[in-house]
Amino acid sequence: MADIELRNVRKAFINFVALEDLNLRIEDGEFVALLGPSGCGKSTTLRMLAGLEFPTDGEIRIGGKVVNDVAPGKRDIAMVFQSYALYPHMTVAQNIAYPLKKRGVDKAERDRKVERAAALLHLEPLLSRKPKQLSGGQQQRVALGRALVREPEVFLLDEPLSNLDAKLRSYMRIELIELHRQLGKTMVYVTHDQLEAMTMAHRIAVMNGGKLQQFDTPDAIYNRPANLFVADFIGTPSMNLMEGSLSGSNFTVGGQSVTIDRSRLKPETTDGAAVLGVRPEDIMLGDGTIDAVVELVENTGHEKIVALAVKGCDRILARAPSGSAITVGEAVKIGFDQTKTHLFEKDGEGRRLNLDQDHNSLP
Amino acid sequence: MPNRPNQTTLERQYARLGILLIAPTVVVFSAVIVYPLLAAIYLSLFSIYTPTLQGEFVGIDNYVKLLSGKLFWQSLGVTLTWTVGTLTLQVIFGVAMALLLNRSFWFRSLARSLVLFPYFLSTVVAVLVWRWLFNDLYGALNHILMRVGVIDMPLDWLGSMPNAMIGIILVGAWKYFPFVVIAVLARLQTIPEHLYEAAKIDGAGPIARFFDVTLPQLRSVLTVIILLRAIWDFKEFDLIYLLTGGGPVTSTQTLALLVYKEAFSLNQMGQAAAYAVAMMLVMLVFMVVYIRRTGTKET
Ligand SMILES: Nc1ncnc2c1ncn2[C@@H]1O[C@H](COP(=O)(O)OP(=O)(O)OP(=O)(O)O)[C@@H](O)[C@H]1O
Ligand SMILES: [Mg+2]
Repeated sequence: MADIELRNVRKAFINFVALEDLNLRIEDGEFVALLGPSGCGKSTTLRMLAGLEFPTDGEIRIGGKVVNDVAPGKRDIAMVFQSYALYPHMTVAQNIAYPLKKRGVDKAERDRKVERAAALLHLEPLLSRKPKQLSGGQQQRVALGRALVREPEVFLLDEPLSNLDAKLRSYMRIELIELHRQLGKTMVYVTHDQLEAMTMAHRIAVMNGGKLQQFDTPDAIYNRPANLFVADFIGTPSMNLMEGSLSGSNFTVGGQSVTIDRSRLKPETTDGAAVLGVRPEDIMLGDGTIDAVVELVENTGHEKIVALAVKGCDRILARAPSGSAITVGEAVKIGFDQTKTHLFEKDGEGRRLNLDQDHNSLP
Repeated sequence: MPNRPNQTTLERQYARLGILLIAPTVVVFSAVIVYPLLAAIYLSLFSIYTPTLQGEFVGIDNYVKLLSGKLFWQSLGVTLTWTVGTLTLQVIFGVAMALLLNRSFWFRSLARSLVLFPYFLSTVVAVLVWRWLFNDLYGALNHILMRVGVIDMPLDWLGSMPNAMIGIILVGAWKYFPFVVIAVLARLQTIPEHLYEAAKIDGAGPIARFFDVTLPQLRSVLTVIILLRAIWDFKEFDLIYLLTGGGPVTSTQTLALLVYKEAFSLNQMGQAAAYAVAMMLVMLVFMVVYIRRTGTKET
């Protein structure tokens, strides 16, 4: 059993507060991604779980036990570094065997376990090489091997794929998912790549500026973003956000108004300034009431990204099938899929105003 | 350089330019190294009276005397004792100090300049200070040792054995360990922090981290340091000459001192040259190892 719990964790460096009041509960065997922009405190969180950094305040529990003062080697964790951190003078086999050796596992047992890890990661032909003689992807697998040979309860991975090229990255993504399925251990995975987080994790913790923004399944993060930051951060191209004002069932932006399904909003929602969010795929071209002018059309091959100018708000992006005939300069009417619009507070934390369950209740 | 058939005109021009560019080095090298070397070998075949530099050809007589006499072998023993002793201390102190200085940044900048001090101090000045510290009548060292209670009688540091040998070894270590500190510290700073963190997670304690992460990374720089310092310590002259003059009697008379004494006290330039050539042959062993080591590293 190795669930992880962070309770009111705060981390302050000499002149900088990296994390504020972080609360997180990761279930045993879960695959959780920590996602957020650079400098938001993902690595700091992970390093505190590893014991390489100590919280200024709060409590960290692994498997129910408070580990605030437990040395990294004594926690039942393994970590894969972004730079792999393989011991350069040791062979692949020695690298993988090292954590076992330091724990006093005897030679025969060590060899057996190294062999098994190597088989799992297809490293057998490389066992006698030095790290310098390996490609990035191979080094990454050795680092994984060193982590899993000890069979720890928790795996911590800090952007393990960021040094690989796009093709190898998507390959390793699948390998990692498969590995997690086989081992069934808790994994905490740091990334700033939302595709990795969305495809691999059971749940994603979205962070920004040292604060947890939302901790939920990829589906919920995408379809029910908890606030403006998450709405803007998740999705490429990102969600269109339009500032305007809410009055009854009408949302007015730049003098034009659209109808909002008021029953999808929280009952306590008041009229006034708000932000309407619509994903590019939820914009209906040529079917609606809002006047727009096509500014730019980007053909990615399987679809077209259409940039639209609408009075009173920033440029709006919409997705269109690659076959659609849209020309730059054309005036179009657009509308929003009523069941999929998002409304956020304009001020404060930009909290979501929609009812939480609304997408689950869709037919 | 023969023109190989598949060489282009450009390659031939580059080859010619290369020869032109290394020519000055070859000339200077010949003048300051090859000529004295040949001259020493030539001199060693004569029996020469130093003040007049006149003498007759004696063939290999000087070498026969060298090999059959006790002096050379005794001095070789002294030289090896001194070299091994002082080098060991230099490396141990040097690495320890480098590890210490590498720990904290605040400490580092101040201490780094202090540590370099002995290395930059002129040997004559350093020896004068140490002779005063070692003095058996009014020396600070005896004073402190007696105060602390380690000894109850003043020790004769430079005038008796094995104290004289310990003395020169200690002063040598003090004078030259900064070289080790600087070289090791430079290397330490390039060891990625992640390696230590990975080792911590793998369950390695501080000692295991030193042996499994730090030391392997220091291996190449330590090899170079040890070989270079071995060569330099082997031929050290001024420090020992000024501290003990080779005494008591010949107990600290290294080969370098033996050569000097033979040439300028006993006025036997030919015999001195023979000692010098023999000394050089011993050093050649170090040099071959050094060249092998540094040469293979690049491939
Ligand atoms: N030792 C330190 N001293 C002071 N500030 C630090 C230290 N380590 C990290 N920080 C700061 O804490 C913040 C969070 O750092 P962290 O490494 O956790 O970011 P991250 O989310 O992993 O970013 P990235 O995606 O770039 O790796 C950053 O602003 C960083 O500058
Ligand atoms: Mg990071």
